[in-house]
Amino acid sequence: MDEAIRPPQIMVVDDDPDTVSILARHLQREGFVPVEASSGVECLKLVQEKEVDVILLDLMMPDMDGFHVCKALKNNPDTAEIPIIMITARDDLDARAEGMRLGVSDFLAKPVFRRQLANRVRAQLAAVAVGRHTAETLSRMESKLRK
Amino acid sequence: MSEKGSAFEPRGAEPGSGYSVERALIGEHPTIVKLRALIERVAAAGVTVLITGESGVGKEVVARAIHEISPRRNHAFVPVNCAAIPHELLESEMFGHERGAFTGASAPRHGLFSAADGGTIFLDEIGEMPLGLQVKLLRVLEDGLVRPVGSDHAAKVDARVIAASNNELAAAVEKHTFREDLFYRLGVVPIEIPPLRERRSDIPILAEHCLERIRTRNPGRALSITREAMVSLWSYDWPGNVRELENLIERLAILCDDSAIDTSILPPNLLAETRTPVPRIPTTIGPGGVNLNMLVRDLEGRLINEALKQTGGNKQAAAKLLGLKRTTFSAKFRRCGVIAATPGGGNDES
Repeated sequence: MDEAIRPPQIMVVDDDPDTVSILARHLQREGFVPVEASSGVECLKLVQEKEVDVILLDLMMPDMDGFHVCKALKNNPDTAEIPIIMITARDDLDARAEGMRLGVSDFLAKPVFRRQLANRVRAQLAAVAVGRHTAETLSRMESKLRK
Repeated sequence: MSEKGSAFEPRGAEPGSGYSVERALIGEHPTIVKLRALIERVAAAGVTVLITGESGVGKEVVARAIHEISPRRNHAFVPVNCAAIPHELLESEMFGHERGAFTGASAPRHGLFSAADGGTIFLDEIGEMPLGLQVKLLRVLEDGLVRPVGSDHAAKVDARVIAASNNELAAAVEKHTFREDLFYRLGVVPIEIPPLRERRSDIPILAEHCLERIRTRNPGRALSITREAMVSLWSYDWPGNVRELENLIERLAILCDDSAIDTSILPPNLLAETRTPVPRIPTTIGPGGVNLNMLVRDLEGRLINEALKQTGGNKQAAAKLLGLKRTTFSAKFRRCGVIAATPGGGNDES
């Protein structure tokens, strides 16, 4: 489907079903298509199957925490460039520092307000679009040079 | 070097010798990495470039980087801010004038295009250029001939044109205040620079780079930023982009007596971004009216959060604290879209 007309798909990864459903509803009301995952493992599986544009990743999850999921996503070239917004406690500075080191694109703290969530997600989508334009211009120039 | 460019580039960098795009355009965000690759490709190609982006993102830095790694680097880079020069003077500034071309033109003068011969002319805020001059610029781009004001003769000038504008240029074309043909002629290669709030992961890198520059200027000073302050820097939206960040760090470095920049010296507007963006509950109704439902929901949300915070996430106790039945509490809790803090986690707003 054409990127321009496909509504952005935003994955929500959290082990708490209440949180997932609230975030999914927020996203839906803002015109996004939520993709729900209840664990890190499910996230890594779904991200291969669906075209996910941004990932909202909870840090505190049993089995596989947000850092591990983040590392796995960043280590796979297919998923490395999907922006990750990590949901942490605002005062958890260690978590934020580690997230920054791992290449997290942004942070949000609970409670997540709809307006703010939408702004942060849109900022990531805009950055991806700019990156795509830049890559397209570059490949256009390179193919012109080859001719 | 112009005021605008200086804030971004490492001071003391010698253009042409050991110039590095990586040091000029700092960041590791994917968009910036791609941008650097494009700059390197564009520089060699010698085509006209149109750079767009908000104020303070570093449009002149990109233009200068293209020039510095291009075959033209040993010639001049001439920045012209089209918005800063009065319209009636802009033409003679750009193209030069003959003696007696207008009142006060007592001697002939070369224009900035001539100064950029063999090099690059950077036309910043091109959207501010008057329509009459846009026609003349288009002609220069097409045949490379520059005709000074009041002269019958046009001279060949070999200057590469790099133009820049905020994101409003396409809208200006729609409104017919900017020529469509010139827009397409300039934008042979469009380069877009994202605002800082779209690449927040570069904020710590840019801040650290800025500190490093200050340390170099003041040897022996161990300047740093506390992690709390860094979280605030990350959360702020930076309407003035990289320039605003760098200016702030410079200012804070002067303010902080000891070696670490802490939240205590951050400006209030920056901290306000970090804290919960709570709309004030109005007690009067202005001509625009209010949205009562939204305000009520907002207040409910905040108090529910506060209650959950105090009870460590216990919904039963939180309901009691608010004087609500458990079921009513749950309904409100769901409607407000409040997410309880996970045990051990904080409950503040990012």
